[in-house]
Amino acid sequence: MSVITKPLRRETEHLYLPIPCKIVSVRDLTPMEKLFRIQMPDGQELGHKPGQFIQLSILGYGEAPISVASSPTRRGYFELGVRNAGTLTGALHHLSEGDEVGIRGPFGTFFDVEKLAGKDLLLISGGCGLAPMRSLIQYCQDRPEEFGKITILYGAKTPSERLFKEDLVDWARSPAFACKYAVDCVPGDGCFDEGEIGLITVLIPPLKIDVQKTIAVIVGPPVMYKFVIAELKKKGMTEEQIIVSLERYMKCGVGKCGHCAIEHLYCCLDGPVFWLNQISGLRGAI
Amino acid sequence: MRRTLTTCPYCGTGCQFYLVTNGEGKLVGVEPSSNHVVSKGQLCVKGWNAFNFANHPDRLTVPLVRKNGNLVEASWDEALDLIATRLKEVQDAHGNDSVAFFSSAKTTNEENYVMMKLARAVFKTNNVDHCARLCHSSTVAGLAATFGSGAMTNSISCVEKADCILVTGSNTTEQHPLIGTRIINAVKGGAKLIVADNRKIRLANFADMHIRWENGTDVAFLNGLMHVIIKEGLADEEFIRTRTEGFDKLKEVVEEFTPERTAEICKITPVEVEKAARMFAGAERAMIIYSMGITQHTHGVDNVKSCANLAMLTGNVGKEGTGVNPLRGQNNVQGACDLGALPNVYSGYQKVTDDGVRAKFEKAWGVQDLPGNVGLTVTTAINAAADGTLKALYVMGENPMMSDPDQHHVRDALEKLDFLVVQDIFPTPTTKLADVVLPAACFAEKDGTFTSTERRVQRVRKACDPPGQARQDWEILADLARRMGYDGLTYSSPKEIMDEITRVTPIYGGMQYDRIDQVGLQWPCPNRDHPGTPVLHVGKFARGLGLFSPAEYRPSAELPDDEYPFVLSTGRCYFHFHTGTMTRRSRLLDREERFPYVEVHPDDAKRLNIHDRFPVMVSTRRGEVKALARVSDIVIPGHLFMTFHFEEGAANVLTNNALDPVAKIPEYKVCAAQIRGV
Amino acid sequence: MKRATTEQLRTFFASLQTEFDVYVPVKLHDGTRVLGSLSEGPLALEGGKIPQKPTSVFFPQFDKVFVVDEQSKFQMAGPVAKPIMVVGFTAQDLDCLEFIDKFFSENYRDDIYFNKRDGSVVVGVSGRCGKDGEFMKIAGGKCDIELIYDGERFVVQAYTDKGRQLSERLVAPDSEAPAGLMDALSRESDALPTDDEDTIDKASDLIRAGKVPEDFWDDIASRCIACTSCNLACPTCTCFEVYDRKQNGKMVRQRIWDSCQLDGFMREASGHNPSGRQMQRTHRRIHHKLAADVERWGHKTCMVCGRCDDVCPTEIGMKSVCKMIVERFS
Ligand SMILES: Cc1cc2nc3c(=O)[nH]c(=O)nc-3n(C[C@H](O)[C@H](O)[C@H](O)COP(=O)(O)OP(=O)(O)OC[C@H]3O[C@@H](n4cnc5c(N)ncnc54)[C@H](O)[C@@H]3O)c2cc1C
Ligand code: FES
Repeated sequence: MSVITKPLRRETEHLYLPIPCKIVSVRDLTPMEKLFRIQMPDGQELGHKPGQFIQLSILGYGEAPISVASSPTRRGYFELGVRNAGTLTGALHHLSEGDEVGIRGPFGTFFDVEKLAGKDLLLISGGCGLAPMRSLIQYCQDRPEEFGKITILYGAKTPSERLFKEDLVDWARSPAFACKYAVDCVPGDGCFDEGEIGLITVLIPPLKIDVQKTIAVIVGPPVMYKFVIAELKKKGMTEEQIIVSLERYMKCGVGKCGHCAIEHLYCCLDGPVFWLNQISGLRGAI
Repeated sequence: MRRTLTTCPYCGTGCQFYLVTNGEGKLVGVEPSSNHVVSKGQLCVKGWNAFNFANHPDRLTVPLVRKNGNLVEASWDEALDLIATRLKEVQDAHGNDSVAFFSSAKTTNEENYVMMKLARAVFKTNNVDHCARLCHSSTVAGLAATFGSGAMTNSISCVEKADCILVTGSNTTEQHPLIGTRIINAVKGGAKLIVADNRKIRLANFADMHIRWENGTDVAFLNGLMHVIIKEGLADEEFIRTRTEGFDKLKEVVEEFTPERTAEICKITPVEVEKAARMFAGAERAMIIYSMGITQHTHGVDNVKSCANLAMLTGNVGKEGTGVNPLRGQNNVQGACDLGALPNVYSGYQKVTDDGVRAKFEKAWGVQDLPGNVGLTVTTAINAAADGTLKALYVMGENPMMSDPDQHHVRDALEKLDFLVVQDIFPTPTTKLADVVLPAACFAEKDGTFTSTERRVQRVRKACDPPGQARQDWEILADLARRMGYDGLTYSSPKEIMDEITRVTPIYGGMQYDRIDQVGLQWPCPNRDHPGTPVLHVGKFARGLGLFSPAEYRPSAELPDDEYPFVLSTGRCYFHFHTGTMTRRSRLLDREERFPYVEVHPDDAKRLNIHDRFPVMVSTRRGEVKALARVSDIVIPGHLFMTFHFEEGAANVLTNNALDPVAKIPEYKVCAAQIRGV
Repeated sequence: MKRATTEQLRTFFASLQTEFDVYVPVKLHDGTRVLGSLSEGPLALEGGKIPQKPTSVFFPQFDKVFVVDEQSKFQMAGPVAKPIMVVGFTAQDLDCLEFIDKFFSENYRDDIYFNKRDGSVVVGVSGRCGKDGEFMKIAGGKCDIELIYDGERFVVQAYTDKGRQLSERLVAPDSEAPAGLMDALSRESDALPTDDEDTIDKASDLIRAGKVPEDFWDDIASRCIACTSCNLACPTCTCFEVYDRKQNGKMVRQRIWDSCQLDGFMREASGHNPSGRQMQRTHRRIHHKLAADVERWGHKTCMVCGRCDDVCPTEIGMKSVCKMIVERFS
């Protein structure tokens, strides 16, 4: 099997040339993460699909892949939820409204909403994984009629490390979603009344799902996948029903630099969104 | 596109490669030399990336002079005139020896020669030294005493001819990668390998015996081997009788080092001692390879002498595939020593205390009154600065703030100086303290020679121009000499300097550029017809008879106790070089190791609740440093290992400034430390 | 069909320098053969493959991605001013070039590569001019011109229009190849042993069939010192690292050859590293060319040029490893 995805975006003359875009607002998500709302020049749309990523540049600091955290149904801008993890992301955290960043993309595979149409969705994310998942959740929020029952599971280390706290509350209130949240622990004398205390896997056994009709989507830190998949399998779900989005060190985003290879697949081209059965046998994938 | 054959600026292996220069005159790559005797078309990761730091925007490009507390840009004239005036003032007020010069193992032979000539002929002081003090001064002292010549006795090619190789205190595959690989290949070809090193280095995977002794018990271990060898009649009696002296004294000293006693001191088993002794002595050709794990101790000279004793005892000197082979850490540390950037000798190890030698140099240099007293070493100069007797220091291409032990002490010392000049290619913690900073050319921007660890003098060639106003080190020094009113340091090119070197330096007598154009020659090479010397001491030692120089076991200066229960050892990692000024500015190398780290054994980590890749604080009596824990069984329980590449986690804040009494080398390999999670 | 002497070829290449940026095998200072310009040293067509990968002419160790000047204006390099002409590809090298052309053009087209590659002229070298006089396989295509050495002169075979037009300008009087010469050379080429290729094929099959156990990779990995030479010498290795550097007020985004043998190659910002162990990296180096690429591209991407074996200081290049695999696990 040769899995080669065709680029979504028209080939530009210069593959590696970023397009300068304006930051229109910056919001703190946690002490480590900020949400950047960005506009393309001349009122263009980014033209992405939920689950895709862009390559974000700050000149002099480099370039890094960042998932788009907003749905294409929200027009006129797109959002990036970014953790301060190093050189580039650290520099980004120093930028504010009106500053420019470079964008290439969107790149990669996406949550194929056409294939998900009519299905019950089980959207499971952990930690930073909520950023890419949010693009799909927002999409579902805007077009609930396209899907069956939608369940959102989210786990984070502590209550304060949870991303998109207002969204979480909002989604929990929305009739479109059933939401279940967890945190690993509550430090000091804090409290957590929005869900369970424990790993995200504790949220799965009590769920009532229609196994035939459900598709699960998982995005989270590397350690999470194995355990969540095991729980889902216990529920009777198969690898054909599970979608994962993976993270890899990426330099080019377009299948050239080689850093993101998982055996014969390139995470930037053939991923980051994979059906589990595409990758389950591959070394180092999960 | 242009390609220039030159020598690698990192370790002392002496690989050659071509630097690739593009049409704009910028370095854009490296291509190995397929025909080079050592590298044979191969390179290590540092070599492949050796072009990458030269264009870094951090390069120093203009002279800087401190004004109102700040370093500000100045012209060369202003900077050099200021240096000339100030050094003269200091000497007039406090005497000639109130000024010292640190030469550099990173610069060329020609530049080291010019530096030592500047110090001696112009400033009339023998206060000239360089970082060999910190790595192999014990080798120079120890091997000079036993064999009469302080360098690697054999050639790198001998590795593949040995039947047994004892590697001790050398992480060869990381520090001298291409020599390390020759060892691996030798083992694959049937040679026996004994690794005596408590870290589980890569070579340990291939070793017939990996002896994880307690750090700092080297003398006891080597004496233990010799005890067994003598007792079991495995010594080479013919060799001892015809080639050496002092055997009886050795016999007497090692008598007490029974396998049991040795094992107790080294915390190994008596069987290991016996087995290693038989393996080494039983081999037709046995070779000792060592590096800083032997030298950087308060008993470094004793360690070196004991290695020499072992080699003589088993007749393993003066033939291929044998010998005592100290691997020199820097590209040109051998050359810097050879060219007399040492406080006691001129080029070619000619003693400053010898009247005849002084008279010869006075004549050659057209000066009078060359000083006859032995000068200050790098380590004693820092101490002298701290106690106020040294007033001015000129540092060329060294970073004592990070490379010397006990950083707080070094800072105090350098801050006390009336005048500090630092000549370098990048800003360093040392340049921050300087009164004048001079921008220098890096290896790719100059001509000259480096001498590799196997005593091979090889060409360095200019592949691109230095950035901004940076100049070659020898040009700067010569310009300063002119401003001091001396015209004996005026040269048109490094070739002319080498011609002078060959005239005054017997071991370099035949090293003219035309002879080493393609393949370097190994010293001693006394004249134009001499083919060079791949193996030293063939038939006869440099000093005549080899002198057995037995040593008693002395524990390290600072041993662990309740307060500081760990033994801390320091060294390098594969991807970085020394204080990191070049490798941390090379993209791929920097990416590999970005943070200071400390290796700690899993048992200790568990007990102290320390987690892999989480920050910890390492402290000693000198200070404390934050680093990331690397939980690994590379180290034995109770031991810690740190590298000294990182300014933000400088291992030399921690190290002990205890010196070997003879060589004045600091004890980087053992000090007492504490570690805790943060 | 013309035949030309080395001297005639030298004159021919020199005459093309006004139109092309000409790279030919030259002998440097200490005898090392590289692809360089005629001014760098004597033309050295004989001696077998060039140690350096010839594909580096199109994909060099270091390249600029773009420059942002003092006025914050982006400058992307366009096609090279003078097209490139490279002489010295062996048959195996041409297979490699064919693959990386495909690699750099599929899905997304790497314009930096094609800025150099487009419009270039590629000249193969084969025949009786290998190392120590060995016969080098005749490519029979995949290049514009092939120079096939008959022991005295190079038979000039053009395979493309561009190649034919150029070779017409080669001056080589009275040099028509005698009848039957090319047939003889072709027979000699066809008769070359294919032991190395067979070993690699067998190893590829064994790996793909899951016959190579984990501890084998551990064993090989313990000998890897991460010098990265295997990757940097490999004509089908295309991995690169990208980083920014400021230079004289400008900002330059640059790329350099990277190596999957380095721990940092896949290490993510979180610290997670899918190839965090030496053994995983060693496995990847071999598996990628012999199994993963078969899956992706339909063929192996080791063309058996032997460069990684030449540069590996501990003898664990592709051929050596495959030999061990075949010996142990067949
Ligand atoms: C498909 C994909 C989607 C992604 N989506 C997102 C997203 O939506 N949001 C998001 O936040 N991330 C996302 N990431 C991860 C993101 O790409 C990385 O965090 C980013 O590449 C880090 O780049 P950097 O230059 O900031 O870090 P680097 O400088 O490359 O840092 C790497 C490492 O160095 C350490 N480091 C560097 N500098 C410092 C310093 N000064 N102090 C301490 N440690 C330091 C970091 O801790 C880290 O371990 C995504 C990755 C992929 C592959
Ligand atoms: S990110 Fe470069 S190949 Fe995938």
